[in-house]
Formats: sequence, structure tokens, C-alpha cells
Amino acid sequence: MSLKAFKRALWVYHLNTGSCNGCDIEILAVLTPRYDAERFGIKLVGSPRHADVLLVTGPVVKQMVPRVERIYEQTPDPKLVMVVGNCGTEGGVFYESYSLAGPIDQIIPVDVYVPGCPPRPEAIIHGVVMAWVKLEKLAKQEVA
Amino acid sequence: MIQEETKKATYTIPVGPIHPALKEPIRLALTVDGEEIVDVDVFVGQVHRGIEWLGMNRNNPIQSIYLAERICGICNICHPFSFVMAVEQATGITPPPRAEYIRTITAEMERIHSHLLWAGVAAHEIGFDTIFYLAWRVREEIMDLIEYVTGNRVTKAMFQIGGVRRDITEEQFPRIRQSLDYYKSIFAQLKKVFLDDITIRMRTRNVGILKREDALKLLTVGPSGRASGVPKDVRQDQPYAGYADLDIKAITPDIVTGTVVGDVYDRIIVRLLEVKQSIEIIEQCLEKMPPGPILAQPKTAVLLKTLTKAEGEGVGRAEAPRGEVVHYVRMEAGQSTLATWKVRAPTYVNLMAVPTILKGMQIADVPITFASLDPCMSCTNRVVITDRAAGRKSVMDYEELHRLSVEKTKEMQR
Amino acid sequence: MERLTPQAIIDSFSKELGDGFVSGSVYEREVAVKKNKFRSLWVEVKKSAFRNAVEHICRLQEYPHLAIISSSDLGAEVELIYHFTIYYGHHLEELSLGLRVKLPKSDLRIPTITDLIPGALFTERETQEMMGVEVVGIPDKRRLFLSEDFPEGAYPWRKDEKGPPSDILRILPGREQK
Repeated sequence: MSLKAFKRALWVYHLNTGSCNGCDIEILAVLTPRYDAERFGIKLVGSPRHADVLLVTGPVVKQMVPRVERIYEQTPDPKLVMVVGNCGTEGGVFYESYSLAGPIDQIIPVDVYVPGCPPRPEAIIHGVVMAWVKLEKLAKQEVA
Repeated sequence: MIQEETKKATYTIPVGPIHPALKEPIRLALTVDGEEIVDVDVFVGQVHRGIEWLGMNRNNPIQSIYLAERICGICNICHPFSFVMAVEQATGITPPPRAEYIRTITAEMERIHSHLLWAGVAAHEIGFDTIFYLAWRVREEIMDLIEYVTGNRVTKAMFQIGGVRRDITEEQFPRIRQSLDYYKSIFAQLKKVFLDDITIRMRTRNVGILKREDALKLLTVGPSGRASGVPKDVRQDQPYAGYADLDIKAITPDIVTGTVVGDVYDRIIVRLLEVKQSIEIIEQCLEKMPPGPILAQPKTAVLLKTLTKAEGEGVGRAEAPRGEVVHYVRMEAGQSTLATWKVRAPTYVNLMAVPTILKGMQIADVPITFASLDPCMSCTNRVVITDRAAGRKSVMDYEELHRLSVEKTKEMQR
Repeated sequence: MERLTPQAIIDSFSKELGDGFVSGSVYEREVAVKKNKFRSLWVEVKKSAFRNAVEHICRLQEYPHLAIISSSDLGAEVELIYHFTIYYGHHLEELSLGLRVKLPKSDLRIPTITDLIPGALFTERETQEMMGVEVVGIPDKRRLFLSEDFPEGAYPWRKDEKGPPSDILRILPGREQK
């Protein structure tokens, strides 16, 4: 499938793998009037089957591993995976627990990391922009 | 037997020490007869990160404050609050009065932000997105104030054993009052939107009733309990920090309507009035704020040494936006980590009320009823339906799904 | 219902339980500027008197609030503390009551109290899976938080050989286990 289809509105599916909600409420804040990411066509959808981007938070609790894999498989190609928050990036404060299987890049491939505990809404928007830049590069390669 | 069964594999809650909120994984199994729910089973553990174990095995008590903060991204004042109170009780450290007041102010700011967040989510659950956006826009004002006072929007890192890490100075008071005045000016409007709107009233009146007796038996706490007429509020009953100097009264819905129904509407009333109460508490705290230091022991290395030597146990109890948070801490001399750490978050007990409030409801009422306890089940569209009478499965039921996932995990481990 | 002072409550425990009563203490602390009292009670009972003690608390307060059961591994025994609150709903009158009971590791069993306080179910299930204390007569024996592939016979909060096996801890690349 062509990456060109990706250029317009990015639809995002939010997946919580055991996060504390700090990142999750900031993601919601990004979508609400103050930051209003919807003006760029970024929209939160209710099913991974509709999504272009997987927004993953949390350090991946063992119980969630099969579900994360399943949701990754359910998302149609081409897709991007964006990790929001420190614990998804490298375990954060929860590293060394008996209950974790993460970080996320040990389970599914990740394209963009947004560090911060939690990242500010501006940082999350910046992360989405970086994802776009990456896609544009990929699209150019595809053409060439 | 003509009976239909719905199994629902959805998303929400718990954490080692559990936590409620937005978009967290939880699983409910609903058994339905037609549209009516006849039984509910709650499965938790999808967010269990073993926080207490980390506090007992890896961190020293000061590091554990930051771990406590990350139990929940929404109640991240209340958890460190009750954690430091427990440690202070165990070690005999007394925080200076000014620190107690600053703690109170930040805790009330958190309550305002959390209740507004909930109001938005609740509106979203009944499909009223205009109000969702309205509530979240209004909420940004308190987020700005929190950032102004503590330096961060979400994880505030205000707490230290024996005090707070940041002062609130006289110069900051006008800015704080400005935000409070903003909320006071729009409060009447918010009240009208949430309590007089016919759509909200239709969807919430007589939905998800939790009777007073059930609330007492199932140990329901916080606004959910108070909406059922249980006037239990730690700030009133066993006041801690700055609350001990104020005369706080637990808010029950009969203040507005004259009766207690214990339904979702009553829970909206309680949370809305608590926003107003919080504003008043912050104002009183600003007025009465005593001068003095903000830390009992400003040198972290000395504090850490005291903590390592300390022996004892303590219980910290704080009223979080969702109810009572309890931390129990036991310390042993010569041990750098905590000997025992037990956390009880409000949703831990509130979840036990889920079967009671959902029974007899329709499937369409599940989101708002469940959200009214203030955990959040956002992924209601991920429902798996099985028809027991016909033996037909439209999607896989959980057991099958789980068996497959266990098999796959095992396969991948090879 | 008549409200007893903290000391009178401890005396009533000792009278009610007789030999089963081990010790009791009152903790008091002054809070903030007005120096109002923050009070909590600690009562230790023998295992044999445990049910009686909970029934006694139910007589002190109709529907006592059970916050949580905390459990500590003390080496030869496991200590359970049932954190109750009584006299709630009134300004400055609530009391925290920690009911302590010690179980030898050779006999880690405690009767359920879900018949007296239905809301004790979750915390009893958690104590069972995390500490390996068998709650006798619990209506729902399933695990609460741990996943089903967590090894049988290992309990995260134990500090002896039954603690979580070290091979399931998540040590990140480049970090050492503490």
C-alpha cells in the first residue's frame, strides 16, 4: 500500500499497557480545545483497525503482552508506533518489577519515542510531527 | 433455557496498588438476559506493576515518594501525601505547619482538576461531547495554576518526608486567587449545564443506584459513597494536615435535592459541589497560611540517615478525589528500603460495588454507570458477545482468547 | 450508639477477648496550627480470638470500614493487620483501628470475615495471592492481580525463598539487579 494515503489525517489508536494515566490524560488534553490536535486532522479512534498510528503508553505489564501483540497485528499496514512516556521508552520508575515484560520496543517495533514523565502536550504534538516527517522520508524512498 | 449471555472484554483499571482513571485496562464479564444485566464479574490485574514490591525491595523511602506519585497520574498528590504521612508517623518526624498548608492547597487543586476531568469523561460516556470539550477547556485553567505553583502539569513532585519541596510565596497569592475567581464566576454556569440539562438528567437519574446499606457493606468510599448518603470523608472525620484547622463537612446530594437517591445524578452533584468546596478550602488556607520553614529536615542526606535508623510503623490516610487513600508503612532499623508498604487506593474498594450498581441495568447504561464511580471504561466498543442459548459465538469469548494468548506466549518463550 | 474513648475501646477488647487479647496501644499526634488530635489505635490479638475481635468491632460500629489488610513477612511468622476505621461520619471523631494478628509460617491460615464485612473480599483475595496466607472459607478463591502464568507457590511479598523467583524480574539491558 502506498504511503501517500498517510499524508492527510492521521488516525490514532491509544493503547494503555499499564500506564499510570499521567500520559493518558495528557494525550486527551492534546485533543481538547486548548491544544486542539484535531485541527491537524489527528483523531482518536476506537478501534485499532481504523488506526494509522498506535499511541502506546505504559511499561507493558505481563498480562498485557498478548494483547499488545494482537492489537499491533490488527492495525492495518502501513502503520506507525509512537511511545509516549518514560516507562514505555525504557521502563521508567517501574524497571525491575516482577510484573513487567516491557519496555514496548522489546515487544513491537517502535518508530517515535516521546520521553517525559509525563511529556507535556506540546511534546506529544511534536512527536506526531516527527512521525509525519519520518513518513514523508519513507514516502520519498518509495517513489524513488 | 432462553437466556443470552454477553461477555465483555473491555479496558480499565488496577495497578499493584490499584488505580482508577482514564483508559485503563480492566475486564468486566457481564451476563445479560436480553438487554438486562443479570450478573457481573470484575477482573483486575492488567495494570499490576508491583509498585509495593519495588518499594520494599529496591527503593529507599525518599525514592519511594516518586514511585508513590506514579501509582496514578491523576491522584499524584494524594498518594505521596498519605505515603509521607505514614512515614512521618513511623519515624516521628513532624512537618512544619506551613508545609501542612501547602500540602492541603495542592491536594485541593488536584481535586478540582480531577473532578472536572471526570465531568468531561462522564459527558463523553453518554455521547455528549460538547460538554466533554467544555469541561476539559475549563480544566486547563487549573492545570495552568498547578503548573504555576508546582512547576509541572501532572507529576508535581511537591512532597518530601517532613514537608514540601516548594514554597508558595505571598507574591503568588494574587495569581492563585485569580484562577479561583475564574472558577467562582463560571460555577453557576457549570451547575446549570450539569444539573439542569435535560439530556444529562434523563441519562443519569435513577441509573446505577447504590443504596446506603450496600455502600456501607461494600465499603464504598469517596464521592461514590457520599452520593449514597454515607457522610464519610477523611478531611472531616479524621482531619490531617491543614484540614484539621478547617471545619469541613462531607457533601451529600441532599444538600441540593433534599433526598438521597444514590444514582449517577447524585454522584454528579457531589463532585460538582466538591469543586466549590475545594475553592473555598484553598481560599481559607491562603488566608490562614502560617509563616515558617517548609521542611523539618532540609538536608536530604541527613534525612535519609534518620530514615535508615528509624523503626516503627504508621498509617497515612488522605482523601483523594475518588475517596480515601490508605498507606501503611513499616520500617526496620538498618534497612534502607521499607520493610512493608501497603497501598489501598479508593477504586480498590469501589470496584466491589460494580456488580451491585450494574445489575438490572441495560447494556447501554454500562459506560456511564461504570464511569460514575470514576474509574473509566473507554473501550466499551470492544465487546465480545456470546449467545449461550444458541451456542453461537459471534466473537471469541475470553477463555478461548486467553487460552490462545497463553499458548502464544509460551510459544514465543521457546 | 455510645462512643467510647480510645482507652475504653482497648479495655473493652481485653474484657471481651480475655486470653485472646495480647496488647493494645493508642497513638496520638497533634496536627497543624490548631493542634487537633489525630488518633489511631493498635490492638493485637491471638489467632484463636481473631473472629471474636472482628465481631466485637462490628458491635462498636455498625458497618465498620475495613480499609485494607496489610501483611508483613517477619521471618518466622507473618503479621496481618486489618486496618479498620470506626466512628466515621462526624467531625474529628473517627478512629483508625489496626487489628494485628500473627500467624506462624507453619500454619498460614486465617478465617474469612466476608460474612461480617462483604467488602473484605478483594483484600482477602490479594492477601492470599501475594502473601500465601490461606483464607479459610473465602467465597471466591481466584487470583486478583497476578497473571495466571505467575508461578504457583511464589508470593511477591514474601521475603524468604517463596518470594518472586529472580528470573522473572525485569532487568533492563545495561542495568544490574539491586
